[in-house]
Amino acid sequence: MTSIAPERSLREQFPRLARRGGRLDVRELERLRARARRFAEVHVRPRALEIDRRTGEDPGWFDWDLVRAGGEHGMLSVVIPKPAGGMGGLATQAAVVMEELCAACPGIAVIFGAHALGISPLLLAGPSQWDGVLAELAGSERSGEPLLMACAITEPEAGTDVEDPELLARARITSHARRVPGGFRLSGTKRFISNGSVARWITIMTATDPRRPAQTWTCFLVDTRSEGFAVGRVEHKMGQRACPAAELTFDEVFVPDERIVGRDGDGAAATMMVLACSRPPVGAIATGIARGAYERVLGWLEEDRAARGLLGRQHVQLALAGMEEEIHLARQLYMDASIEFDHTALGGAMSHPAVRALGHVPASVRGRAPVRGWLASDRARDAAIALLHRTTSERAVTRSLALSSMAKARGGDVAMRVTGAALELVGLHAGPVRAELEKLWRDAKLTQIYEGTNQLNRLEVYRGLCHRETIGCLPPLRAIHPGTGGKAHTNTDARAHLEAGALSCASVSGGGGES
Amino acid sequence: MSMLTATERAEITAVARELAHRELAPRAAALDAGGQDVLAECWHLLAGLGLDRALLDEEHGGSRLGVPGLLATIEELAVGDGGIAMCVLLCNAALATLAGEQLADVPAGARWALVPAAPGTELAIADGQLDGRVAFALGAHGADGLVFLLGGPEPAASAVAAGAAGLRLERDLAQMGLRAAPAASAELAGADCTPAPGGSGAQGAAVSVASAPALLRAGTAAIAHGIARRAYEAALEYAHARQQGGVAIIEHDAVSDMLSAMAVRLACWPQITADPAGLAVEEAQALVVKIAATDAAVASTTDAVQVFGGTGYMVGTGIEKLMRDAKYCQLFPEPNWLAHNELMRSQPAGRTAVKARPT
Repeated sequence: MTSIAPERSLREQFPRLARRGGRLDVRELERLRARARRFAEVHVRPRALEIDRRTGEDPGWFDWDLVRAGGEHGMLSVVIPKPAGGMGGLATQAAVVMEELCAACPGIAVIFGAHALGISPLLLAGPSQWDGVLAELAGSERSGEPLLMACAITEPEAGTDVEDPELLARARITSHARRVPGGFRLSGTKRFISNGSVARWITIMTATDPRRPAQTWTCFLVDTRSEGFAVGRVEHKMGQRACPAAELTFDEVFVPDERIVGRDGDGAAATMMVLACSRPPVGAIATGIARGAYERVLGWLEEDRAARGLLGRQHVQLALAGMEEEIHLARQLYMDASIEFDHTALGGAMSHPAVRALGHVPASVRGRAPVRGWLASDRARDAAIALLHRTTSERAVTRSLALSSMAKARGGDVAMRVTGAALELVGLHAGPVRAELEKLWRDAKLTQIYEGTNQLNRLEVYRGLCHRETIGCLPPLRAIHPGTGGKAHTNTDARAHLEAGALSCASVSGGGGES
Repeated sequence: MSMLTATERAEITAVARELAHRELAPRAAALDAGGQDVLAECWHLLAGLGLDRALLDEEHGGSRLGVPGLLATIEELAVGDGGIAMCVLLCNAALATLAGEQLADVPAGARWALVPAAPGTELAIADGQLDGRVAFALGAHGADGLVFLLGGPEPAASAVAAGAAGLRLERDLAQMGLRAAPAASAELAGADCTPAPGGSGAQGAAVSVASAPALLRAGTAAIAHGIARRAYEAALEYAHARQQGGVAIIEHDAVSDMLSAMAVRLACWPQITADPAGLAVEEAQALVVKIAATDAAVASTTDAVQVFGGTGYMVGTGIEKLMRDAKYCQLFPEPNWLAHNELMRSQPAGRTAVKARPT
């Protein structure tokens, strides 16, 4: 198997990594990439076809050994914040890992990708959400008995439209969360949920009032051991089969208040933020698939007797050059989008001294009841949102979302073109490499569909870059202080208040001091 | 050999359309799953209509459809299932190269397959025995007999009965598309064979060996067109039914643009014509049509999955299967990039542009 070893370091390829912000340790990123590549070569690539075959026969079959092996290589804690015991990665780290794993097997890679997607609402909701489940996930990886996460957004009657605020307002939402003392009860069905049948924890987006989904869209953290939760059909997919996609049903599942991720009603903005963070890794998934196809066809042309002489043909040379070109561009796009998100959309908040200081507080202290109580309080959630408003803007996140959408859409198209062209080069008589390329071609199609169809993603590009709109990507500020009698400010009022430096209660450090 | 009238051909095509709708489409998922029983069941129906011997004359149990009639018929069958349509094409192409006395030994309802010469495949014939290996023979698994087209400057073909000593077939379990035409690799070690004479009308054979590749290409084009039709019809229906953002998704330009492109590709389909005897397709025309139709089918079926979104990606809906089947049409009997080469080899300087529809 030909593997395209990088001729240039990440720092050389992407100088912006080293230049901007300095939050991202490039050497650490190189080490992470090497670790992902090792895991892919030793554990993923050799099993890819076999697992695809088995899950083709039985979609519910799942390979926990691979998850454990991935855990040994740290693949499950890439985006878990350091204070919770993870690597502290964001979009860039997730993307770099995805490309490496997907070049070997996209289906297996997406188990880890869907896990990271499930984590991302918690990660983006701020430090108040980092202890508890995220620490448990990191601990489970270290213990060798890893737990998985999933994120549930899509519904039977609403797919693409729950990933866009305008469409969400008119979407046919059938799930809902009903307010009860101490929390909510969730009911309804979610569909095509990657890792849904194997996850311990699921972040689920649903409306607390289905008649006003956009205004009441809320993220909940659900324990899959809860009464009323059930896994329905596990889908028989065309590709990416190693990662199960399941239908999930919720029948009055109780979720306590402390497991609302962010705040009640902030889900639409949170979804936009999650997508801005998760679409660059999807671009990387697609790039990895294209690279995997390119590596395989090149290996076949160089080594297989049946391909003798073909490398001398101009058609073949031009096709290979075209693949190299497309992969290069797709990688540039997803790296650019990742860096933009990490540095501009979220980087400021993550590298804020208060957040970094939290990482130095021993977990034993953070686990004490008063601290834990404050971290789970509304004030802490408000503080995290205020910090976001202080360190970024809705325009910056909208722009980041547009770049992420561009990387995702273009990557998906590249994956389809490159895998299709590779398959055409080898033809039907090529032997084992044909099966590998056919699998990658089947896998590639999904990258044009999930995380919003490519069409929707391109409309995001229009809105964010061509039309320069600003989408509501940040949860609104809701500063509460004695002078308002507990009444929420408007966003504008609160921003003015923030800028005046008076919002001492709405910052991590200030709030922490008060507790 | 007297050909069917246009009316008779139209009637048979209508019967094929009805059969595809009523019998094949409901069985498409089972055929895709590789069920041999369901294949035998479908084949029995097709043979009952004489579609296994559509190019042969009545003396040999045929229905004298002629190439245009056969192509129109398999296009209709492909709307139901591309793989079963491919079985019909391969069987007709194989039997049509056999001589009268060879056909006499082929029982009614037998399923044969023509195996085209493939790049890198070397088959050698000596003293009535065939040696070599074919890595991928579409429709060969479970076939009652195979006709191998031999590469080389002089067109030649050899017929081998499935049970012949020296022939070993191994099913290709990784086959992604057209799975109702189950593929196998073929090892030939001194396999008993008889030359398939070919030659229009000569020794009873309906199709010349030299024109068999063109028949396969034209037939593959017809199958691709049938698959693309099915994709368009399904996507159009879904786009009217599925709501998004409070309206049917066809109201979104993002969706209607894809459907429009599918409609345009279908409308650009050139009817394939044959020689006056109705038994041969011109080589360059077959190449042009095959390239155009299969590229169009891949584009349309991929768009159909996109219109369906996540639902289309799931095996149970039958939409993603169209994409896999179309991709195999693009690769059979050779990948389209090799078909482009072949086309240019057939075009000497000074020749006028190839017409997909000769006048």
